[in-house]
Amino acid sequence: MGKFLLLAFRNVFRNRRRTIMTLCMVGGGVAGLLLAGGYFAFMTHGLRERTINDGLGHLQIFTADHFRRDETRVLDTGIENWRQVAATVSSAEHVRGVAPRIDFYGMVSNGTKAAGFMGSAVDPDAEKSLGFVTRVVAGRDLDAKPAGEVEALIGVGLAKSMNVGVGDGLTLLAMTSDGALNGVDVQIVGLVNSGVAELDARYLRITLPAAQRLLQSDRVTNLVVGLDSTDNTDRAYAELIPRLRGLPQEMTLKKWIDLATYYKQVSTMFNGIFLFMGVIVFFMVLMSSVNTLLMAMLERTREIGTMLAMGTPRLWIVALFMLEATLLGAMGAIAGVVGGNLLGVLLNSSGLHMPPPPGYTVAIPFKVLHVPALMIGSSILVIVSLALASIVPAVRASRLQIAEALAHV
Amino acid sequence: MNEPNPMGDIVRVEAVSRRFPLDHSFVSALDGVDLRVAAGEFLAIAGPSGSGKSTLLNLIGCIDKPTSGGIHVGGVATSTLTPSRMTALRREKIGFVFQTFNLIPVFTAAENVEFPLLVQGIGAGERRQRVAAALDSVGLSARANHRPDLLSGGERQRVAVARAIVHRPALVLADEPTANLDTHNATQLIDLMRDLNRSLGLTFIFSTHDARLLEHTPRIVRLCDGQIESDTRSEGGSRG
Repeated sequence: MGKFLLLAFRNVFRNRRRTIMTLCMVGGGVAGLLLAGGYFAFMTHGLRERTINDGLGHLQIFTADHFRRDETRVLDTGIENWRQVAATVSSAEHVRGVAPRIDFYGMVSNGTKAAGFMGSAVDPDAEKSLGFVTRVVAGRDLDAKPAGEVEALIGVGLAKSMNVGVGDGLTLLAMTSDGALNGVDVQIVGLVNSGVAELDARYLRITLPAAQRLLQSDRVTNLVVGLDSTDNTDRAYAELIPRLRGLPQEMTLKKWIDLATYYKQVSTMFNGIFLFMGVIVFFMVLMSSVNTLLMAMLERTREIGTMLAMGTPRLWIVALFMLEATLLGAMGAIAGVVGGNLLGVLLNSSGLHMPPPPGYTVAIPFKVLHVPALMIGSSILVIVSLALASIVPAVRASRLQIAEALAHV
Repeated sequence: MNEPNPMGDIVRVEAVSRRFPLDHSFVSALDGVDLRVAAGEFLAIAGPSGSGKSTLLNLIGCIDKPTSGGIHVGGVATSTLTPSRMTALRREKIGFVFQTFNLIPVFTAAENVEFPLLVQGIGAGERRQRVAAALDSVGLSARANHRPDLLSGGERQRVAVARAIVHRPALVLADEPTANLDTHNATQLIDLMRDLNRSLGLTFIFSTHDARLLEHTPRIVRLCDGQIESDTRSEGGSRG
């Protein structure tokens, strides 16, 4: 077996120029997959953490009714004793903190013009303690206990359409929990740019007590749970489920992935693109290698005839060609992994940025993650495609007529 | 395959014809050839190009099949063998020497000689001993670790001879083994094969169209147009 492997290894380097060309092609395919996959991994990982840190959190607690039916009145499917619920989950392992939220809708007016808004009421201190980022581009974040008027953050798009800025006042109008119309004057303390233009055109944020006064309710829509690491989501989920069972209201616990619709869409898209690239690389390596290996087989026709004449089993000839192709694939994969990672390091230090994706206004840095699973997967892909590419030449070689092969010039 | 042959013939060719298709007709390479070769003989098949020498060796060597007639090698009728049994017969009973040496270029001389033993599944220790003995018998012990491209034509063909005898076959077939050698090397090679024939009792059948090499050959079968023209024996042959 050792001599057989040695023969295969030496045969790989018999025609060095051709071998180097094949290695470049195979290595290039692997490196391309690593760079593309590494970039997609960076994007996906970045989007995941951004999605979580933008306020989604790792887990969210709702009442079961929240998903069963639409609200007939504001917050009638909200969490009643939310402080008790928050205390119940706060002591669990991996939980860094709990932030209450109210989602509400209404009209905003500057006195001469009105527009609809999507409101979010938060406890600023709880949000900060969980590391949730408010993308304030002008002014400042909300104060948990403001001295004067009710403070508000609004999206840059909403500010533009209402022709207001930091320090200006607005009036919010919303339906209360008992069906009446209520209003509150707010002062804009900051402008927010989430990067999503459609969201910024409707976005408004006030403090939780201000929203509860506006909506005339002590309830909250949900509780956002922040963990010490995204990797602990499943563990924390499993621990919190039984704790929530003993509460007066029936609760539902959601993981971030269940609520991150946009993340899932982007992730699915990247996976699809990567799969498509993988298929292209697979067929590129397969087709070009079949040709290369057939040429190698033709050049060695007389040698194969000699081996067959000496009583070498035909299966050995098949195995020899497949072994050579597999070795070539393995060497190409190593070259590709090394080259791809070096290129990745270079690109990461180059400071390149990609243009903003559709719906975004911020350029994205071009970074490549070094993902071991990608290295293994890409390597297996090219090794398998080369092994498959060798089947035709290997079978042809094994079926040579000995007398004809020996007479081959 | 190993059944004893009461006649003592290692090769028996009976009314063998071999025709090859050519366009819409056939060309006859061998036509009704009968030949018996006893174990231990040193036999030359002579004749001009196209007389059927290589075809006859291919048929005896079980790398081609006759159109009609029968061939027995070591008492075994080769026409009755399955492809795998035919392969096994070649592997165990026959050694080949080719006109163009046909050494594996990426192997050293020793590794080339070792190859038939590898195919037979012989253990590493025994392989080493046999390879050393075979290379010694052709006078190339000092060149064991050289690749073929670093050997002269005569040395390459001696490596090929060592490869043909290393697994102790019953029969060695050499198709124009001297065609690519100068006269000096050609004569040396024939002398070497004759020595091995005498010392190891190996049966050698080789083809040539060089009359000078036939002077010391005890038995000469001359072919012409696919038929045996003459079968002459001289003194000094293994059977007298």
